[in-house]
Amino acid sequence: MRRPDVAVTGLGLVTAAGIGTEASWAGVCSGVSAASRNPELAGLPVDISCTVPDFNPNKLVGRRASLIYDRFVQMAIVAAREAVADSGLDPETWDGARVGVVLGCGMGGLRSYDQQHKRMNEVGPQAVSALLIPMMIPNMAAGHLALQFGATGPNFVTATACASGATAIGCALGLLRDGTCDVVITGGTEAGVLPVVTTGFAQMGALSTKRLDAPETASRPFDADRDGFVIGEGSGILVLERAEHARARGARVHARLAGYGASDDAHHITAPDPEGTGVTRALTAALADAGVSPAEVDHVNAHGTSTPLNDAAEARVLRRLIGDRAAVTSTKGVVGHTLGAAGAIEAVFSVLAIEHSTVPPTANLELQDPEIELDVVAGAAREHKSNVAVSNSFGFGGQNAVLVFTSAA
Amino acid sequence: MSTTEVVVTGLGATTPLGGDVATTWSALLEGRSGIDTLQEDWVADLPVHFAGRIAVEPSELLPRQRLRRLDRTQQFALIAAQEAWQDAGAPEVDPVRLGAVVSSGIGGILTVLEQYDTFRERGWKRVSPFTVPMLMPNGPAAAVALEFTARAGAHAPVSACASSAEAIADAIDMIRTGRADMVIAGGVEAAIHPLNIAAFASMRALSTRNDDPKTASRPWDANRDGFVMSEGAGMIVLESAEHAAARGARVYAVAAGAGYSDDAHDIVLPDPEGTGQARAITSVLADAGLRPSDIAHVNAHATSTPAGDVGETVAIRAALGDSAADRVAVTSTKSMTGHLLGGAGAVESIATVLALHEGRIPPTINIEELDPAVRVDIVRDKPRDLPADAVAAINESFGFGGHNIAVAFRRP
Repeated sequence: MRRPDVAVTGLGLVTAAGIGTEASWAGVCSGVSAASRNPELAGLPVDISCTVPDFNPNKLVGRRASLIYDRFVQMAIVAAREAVADSGLDPETWDGARVGVVLGCGMGGLRSYDQQHKRMNEVGPQAVSALLIPMMIPNMAAGHLALQFGATGPNFVTATACASGATAIGCALGLLRDGTCDVVITGGTEAGVLPVVTTGFAQMGALSTKRLDAPETASRPFDADRDGFVIGEGSGILVLERAEHARARGARVHARLAGYGASDDAHHITAPDPEGTGVTRALTAALADAGVSPAEVDHVNAHGTSTPLNDAAEARVLRRLIGDRAAVTSTKGVVGHTLGAAGAIEAVFSVLAIEHSTVPPTANLELQDPEIELDVVAGAAREHKSNVAVSNSFGFGGQNAVLVFTSAA
Repeated sequence: MSTTEVVVTGLGATTPLGGDVATTWSALLEGRSGIDTLQEDWVADLPVHFAGRIAVEPSELLPRQRLRRLDRTQQFALIAAQEAWQDAGAPEVDPVRLGAVVSSGIGGILTVLEQYDTFRERGWKRVSPFTVPMLMPNGPAAAVALEFTARAGAHAPVSACASSAEAIADAIDMIRTGRADMVIAGGVEAAIHPLNIAAFASMRALSTRNDDPKTASRPWDANRDGFVMSEGAGMIVLESAEHAAARGARVYAVAAGAGYSDDAHDIVLPDPEGTGQARAITSVLADAGLRPSDIAHVNAHATSTPAGDVGETVAIRAALGDSAADRVAVTSTKSMTGHLLGGAGAVESIATVLALHEGRIPPTINIEELDPAVRVDIVRDKPRDLPADAVAAINESFGFGGHNIAVAFRRP
């Protein structure tokens, strides 16, 4: 039985490099990091982050939503509206029962939780908002999109820490292939740049601390002098559609989602397996699922967080499996590590790399770590035709998710 | 194309009724409530004074050193998974063919709150380096994967109070699509904290029957006034029928299929017409290849809220049709366990599996006066024998966000 093809027909982004796909893509292609000092983190061991600039919820999602939705939901709504508009689908007329929503989120509405916790301690339990529960539970990102677009098909959020966005897209692929849905709005969202979360990561030694005076140079994946990631926020949304459905309505297809592979290291709760056996299995499974050979991979959007351990382990796997013929980049150099949204944001960048025949540079890659024997794009964006692009995402918990996109033609 | 059959070979739980499946099941058949007044000082300031605490504390089962590095959700998940795994015969399995799908509605929220307090009162230096791995909602899935070396993939679908039913649905899918031979699947919640109680109470979602907590959870009673918040975990070992047969495993039931839908009606209120819920039931029947008349029993979501319970019975009738709906025996074990939120679907799936396996349906307790709008047969007060020719049963779980999940189990 021939498996149905799945097309990417809509894209939406909210990142530290800009609101909207165009602004975010221009930002990552410039290679200039969006990290900056964050006044909310003043006095903490790490006070820099990749925060979305000028994200005005009142203007972008309306007054009511700006008050009663957590920031992670607001960002998902903005990205999803862009993606749905981009797809040319009309939620007024579509068959909502055939439209699913699957999002990844690593944490949920911790900002609302923090605020209400403060209120309870200061004023008392009677002051706790009746909206707290629906504001903070992570599944609400998907729930609100169902309401926005009348999407009454399967609806859930999946959490695999920093792989969440990619896992969600993989689940969406399953729903389209098995015929449950014609269209799935998928991706990820995260708004976890908060004092306690940032401090938690800092206490683990996961964040960059060497360059707090020059934040725009701190996130430097694959650089010999990298020392940790820069925490970020944002949302990436894709509209996926059965290729047949897209063809029937004459939709513009950005690229195809051809394969998904997942695995777990079961090695350590936060550190990656240095041998990369779990990552190897996920990547091998994704390529097999897509029906392409490792030699056909032209481009890799790496997980590349800028931590010493991750980048070295990931590079070893890529070297062994794919070699140095693919143009590798880590867009986390520019937009930071957006945790549960990262896999989705990077999936959008992978699609755009195929569509524009351009690989964005890895920001701040001055001296490539000699252990990393890959062709990593540095300095400026490179013109590069990609027929097959791989996007890697790994999460605390040893959770690995790999997506394979191929050109629309 | 034939679908791989998925079977249930192990069960594990820690609930307000007992520290394991056997104790929980016998309490369910006895019609005992696991709800009690909370002993903490902070209760006095809250509008709700009771909840369903688990019956056996993790400190009785896990060493102190381990407890410190695990959020309470992870502790529960490990305890229930350990029991389920032993129950399945603790088989030797190729790690890359073993998966873990463990959900939670909100994750390590007690860690978040404790670390907020540490952060504000004692400064950033005292914030635990384990904060992030303890607070993340996939933490329980990760802990289970690590404990049992499950390398086929570890996942944590989140759909509020439908989360762990969704976990079981995902696990069925992992096995059907050949991504794993065995999956430890289930869910957990550990969120009893004044802030969460205050927040649910301020939505008017909780019962305030402070003077008589054991009768507070009363699904379908005319005087129901909200749900009762509980904690705990349920875990199921699922495997392909072929794999189970090859190792001669005891089979409780066939995990026959899953159905999903979303209301897209309101962010917290269920659709009173139950159309979304009915679609989940219709699609589980199609997925499982069952006829409406095959469904002998439904373990309902029914939480004891005024807005929710009746709509569900309307959906059951609409989806099964009148003649099948007239014969189905419906119960809500939440009347005894309270509402385990992200753990509810798993614990109730275990009750559904055991009802088929043992041939006994646990009752719904505390119905003094049945809501006259209820038009299905509710098993009240005393357990009831399942008809000898019963084929299958359904567990329903719904979540804030309009998520509806139905999972079907069939006798082997």
